[in-house]
Amino acid sequence: MIDMAVIVAIHGLLLIAGYRLMLRDDLDEDPLLEGDGDGDGAADERTL
Amino acid sequence: MTDLFLLGFFAVFLLLGLKRPFLWICLYLYVDILAPQKMGYGPITSVPVSLIAFAAAFGGWLMMDKKTRPTFTFRQGLMLFLLVWAWFTMQGAQFPVEAVGKWDWVWKTLVFAIFLPFTVTTKLRFEAAALVMVLTAGAIIISGGIKTVFGGGGYGTLSLFVNDNSGIYESSTISTVAIAIIPLLYWFTRYDTVFKPSLPVKLFAAGLAGACLLIPIGTEARTGLVCIAMLGLLVLRESRHKLLLMVGGVLLCIAAFPFLPQSYADRMATMLTAEEDESASTRVAVWKWTIDYAKERPLGGGFEAYRANSFTYRMPQTTGEGNMTTTRYDEVVDEGRAYHSAIFEMLGEQGWPGLGAWLLLQALGLIQMERLRRRMRRRGDPNLAWLGHLAIALQYAQVIYLVGATFQGIAWQPFIMMLAGLQIALVIYAKRHDSPAEATIGARLAAGRQAGQPHAVATGAGAASPPLR
Repeated sequence: MIDMAVIVAIHGLLLIAGYRLMLRDDLDEDPLLEGDGDGDGAADERTL
Repeated sequence: MTDLFLLGFFAVFLLLGLKRPFLWICLYLYVDILAPQKMGYGPITSVPVSLIAFAAAFGGWLMMDKKTRPTFTFRQGLMLFLLVWAWFTMQGAQFPVEAVGKWDWVWKTLVFAIFLPFTVTTKLRFEAAALVMVLTAGAIIISGGIKTVFGGGGYGTLSLFVNDNSGIYESSTISTVAIAIIPLLYWFTRYDTVFKPSLPVKLFAAGLAGACLLIPIGTEARTGLVCIAMLGLLVLRESRHKLLLMVGGVLLCIAAFPFLPQSYADRMATMLTAEEDESASTRVAVWKWTIDYAKERPLGGGFEAYRANSFTYRMPQTTGEGNMTTTRYDEVVDEGRAYHSAIFEMLGEQGWPGLGAWLLLQALGLIQMERLRRRMRRRGDPNLAWLGHLAIALQYAQVIYLVGATFQGIAWQPFIMMLAGLQIALVIYAKRHDSPAEATIGARLAAGRQAGQPHAVATGAGAASPPLR
């Protein structure tokens, strides 16, 4: 019973976190780095 | 029911990752820590969730994720060396069948730890990875903490999600991990942006920290008490009111003592009479055996080499009470005793080269985090305060782990290797922030060739102030 309640609660928090992260662009683009000299275009690449 | 719920969660997270592939990295962290495939008894046991998450994490990063130029650091090189060396020692392993069993999870742990810094490239990704790690470990800890409060604890009897007493579910290991994440919890109460530091978030963090402190009591793991003492010293280091904190700590211990179970007090008392305790006695005997073993096999005996040990020793047994006590010496024969120390685990299994590389990996982590925190303190940039404090949290987590690892064979513990991966990523992030042109080895070599020429690329805050080292 305790286990199930904890599992549901924590997985709920993880899902909320996952959903919020999915909506945020700064997950992929860091405003601190983008504004600090990645402008040479070499630091961010879609491919290897 | 549990199986369906866990599978449903896994599927939803896979779907979320279609938009942000980094979430698959988070999913792998979750699977590797919690092992949901071991929690159920039905369909989830037949679904290779670990393999799917592993493939999604690598494939997603390779094909879909936004990437920065991959940076390969010296510490990742050390991990790569450990990977190759572990494979090498396995070829001549004294117990080849058992060695393969350990190799199966160790190589994944190392590969993922080497890979993790390539993916954690933004502030939010640090948050996301750390949050998933803390919440996932938190699930085990909260459950264990509640059971401890209701009297379900006891040495080897505290029931967690998975009752095989291995990996993170091993009593001493979960005690060490529980204490190690407390500094990270504190960090979240200040800098988290996924769950902003509101009152409910702070209350949750405080509750989880309380559960973390209960785990060593519930498991009655002596290592856990040592880790708590270490955490106390680290808190003391950070505190401005050291005397007040020390007095408060002592009063708290005195107030808490009556609420501790007698079995816990009895077990902790064995630390004071180590020579009468079989576990402690064999520990020292195994360590001596390992040193001798390393003289015979300086390049290591491969995974699970401890199975070769066998020794006889005399252990004092005291009976009676008060003045009527008698002590007799019993001869005890022990075989195949585990190392009970990550240091001796590395020495016995990977020999001196492996132990050297592992110690260097750990030492560099501590030094790099210390340099980062000092640099950030001097810099005083509020935009980067999170970075300095994350360095402190990761450093303290590692210190607590190292204290715990002195008394248990957890040299390859995945959770700790993940923390090492985050440390590496943090150093790279700081370097990229200061000087994007020198963030990669190739770029640094190119910069070296042009030594003496003015730096043309680094701009912004990094160019105006010395780099974060």
